[in-house]
Amino acid sequence: MKKYVVALLALVLIMSTIGAAVTVFFVTDTGGLGDKSFNDSAWAGVQMAVKKFGITANVIQSYEQADYIPNLTAAAQVSDVVIAVGFMMQDALAKVAPQFPNTKFIFIDGVVKAPNVENFLFKEQEGAFLVGYLAAGVTKTGKVGFIGGIPIPPVLRYQYGYEAGVETYNVLNGANVQVLSGYVGSFDDPAAGKSMTNSQFSEGADIVFAAAGLSGLGTIEAAKDAGPGHFAIGVDQNQDYLAPGFVLTSAMKRVNIAVFDGIKSVVNGTFKGGTTVLGLKEDGVGISPMTYTKQYVPKSLLSQLKVLEKAIISGKLVVPNTKESFQSFQVPAIQF
Amino acid sequence: MSKLKKFYMNDKIISPLIAIVISFIIAAIVMILIGKNPATAYGALFYGAFGTEGALINNIMKATPLILTGLAVGFGFRAGLFNIGANGQLIIGALLATYVGSQMQTFPFYLSIPLMLVVGMLGGALWGALAGWLKAARGAHEVITTIMLNYIAVFIANYVVNGPFQAPGGVPKSPEIAYSARFPNLVTTGATWLSAGIFVALAAVVVVYIIIEKTKTGYEVKAVGFNPYAAEYGGISISKNVVLAMAISGALAGLAGTMQVMGVYYRYLGSLGGSMGFDGITIALIGQNDPIGIAFAAFLISSIRAGSNQMQIAGVSKNIVIIIQGIIIFLVAANRLVKTLMVWKRKGVEEI
Repeated sequence: MKKYVVALLALVLIMSTIGAAVTVFFVTDTGGLGDKSFNDSAWAGVQMAVKKFGITANVIQSYEQADYIPNLTAAAQVSDVVIAVGFMMQDALAKVAPQFPNTKFIFIDGVVKAPNVENFLFKEQEGAFLVGYLAAGVTKTGKVGFIGGIPIPPVLRYQYGYEAGVETYNVLNGANVQVLSGYVGSFDDPAAGKSMTNSQFSEGADIVFAAAGLSGLGTIEAAKDAGPGHFAIGVDQNQDYLAPGFVLTSAMKRVNIAVFDGIKSVVNGTFKGGTTVLGLKEDGVGISPMTYTKQYVPKSLLSQLKVLEKAIISGKLVVPNTKESFQSFQVPAIQF
Repeated sequence: MSKLKKFYMNDKIISPLIAIVISFIIAAIVMILIGKNPATAYGALFYGAFGTEGALINNIMKATPLILTGLAVGFGFRAGLFNIGANGQLIIGALLATYVGSQMQTFPFYLSIPLMLVVGMLGGALWGALAGWLKAARGAHEVITTIMLNYIAVFIANYVVNGPFQAPGGVPKSPEIAYSARFPNLVTTGATWLSAGIFVALAAVVVVYIIIEKTKTGYEVKAVGFNPYAAEYGGISISKNVVLAMAISGALAGLAGTMQVMGVYYRYLGSLGGSMGFDGITIALIGQNDPIGIAFAAFLISSIRAGSNQMQIAGVSKNIVIIIQGIIIFLVAANRLVKTLMVWKRKGVEEI
């Protein structure tokens, strides 16, 4: 009897330490923490897991592209789980992950095919579609803008989803809203984002959607400086609060949920290499509740958005996410 | 007399050294204020910079481009020119070199490697000489022209790797250079490798030293830097040397970019430039525009940055590293203050 109790107690002790003993290291891309979007969202997911599972978490911020391999390597050496965030890290992770077969990697926004890497991709185009449709419906000048960080696949998905949303609005409402687009060239240059936004404003755009990480904070600042009638659209997280009344909405990407799910799978022992794609249906993307800007959006537009959301979720409306699919995109006949 | 001589000879070394020591002390105070132990932090920094083979490799790989851009900016300073355009020059050099390198599939390495190096240097030299010519012919200040040329270079590169020179796959990067054009590696460990490019950088230090101290060109460039009109009175052509100095400076920066392509990425990436060009200004400042000093300054900065990931693992924010770098730069730039303090100290000793 005694032996049985001791064995049970030992088992309980071991089980209770499994959750606590998991160390997680989060390696950011060059945008770093404080970008109020991508990296911050992932870190929020880590913190959620810390609260729920009692794991220990730490972060290494990357300063430049050349840091990815050393940072991932250093993290993998001291940690059970490494969270790699950002497409720019794909090549580096592809080299590091095989070196540490006992370390589990959670990778956001790219794919590395290895048994110890869980990849999470998002259908950014679906959130961007809704945001584009909304922008086309709210614009008073008939011109809206898009600013990207670097033309990597996740940002391109945002771009083409946005343009498809604008085109859909034009077709279904008989309008002719134009999209101005440009790329800053980096995810960590708010000043460049601000100046590009200002030049789009001076070309006549009144709403600019920035999918550019830290650089996008410059877009929000530019909208605020330009005054009423000018809007920015936030990205990745709900950025409406950054400049209340000047951020029309945000195209959300629930990186925090993906990171949390990834860590959960490690804690539960269900971790398996592979790729999960999160879209509108899985609540992986969406638009913000527009707490400060509802007054600028006509109710009819909001109900049209709800219909479009249902169409996307049901699969009736497939939002393009590349140049080719955008060019061959046909706006489906939708009844409002 | 000899005491003063010794003072002058050592001053160039002592000032930056004192600045570095003071900056580490200040950073330690900051760390204590935020509740971190400076000893463990600096220990982690040291470990991350020198502690393992991987750390040393990372360190040296970071130092290589810094040495080259530091030399580029430092050489320009010697001629009295502020070359803020190292970023653009290294981009153009790297871009041209990558293009040439990607066409050399059938070339043996003893042709492709020198060819890529030469093309990279030429590209950077041309970009730098452009700003130099604008100054010599029209008096356009090189600070403005080089910064503008930086933007032009960045946009050219962005256009090229998103369109005509894009690797299949839709990502903004160029196709890879030929296998024979890759720089040989000295060591490979784990997922990192040490490229022999460091030897190119060190060779550049020697070459620049020789040019500055031992050649007529170096003499003329220095003369123009000290006092252009006196140099002109002595028969030295200001415009020729301004263009030449910017060309050499640009060539060094172009070499930095080319080495990144040949030794690290094997293609032109959208973010190849990074902060290398502007770090060159920092390095040149800390190294007092002297080739040997620049080499040491480059290793200092690369060590600090290489050690930063271990410091972050030890729980100290990456911003401490940025603070350290900032204080070093501030103090070196203010080295007049340090010089004056040293003179006071000497006076104090002599009076006693």
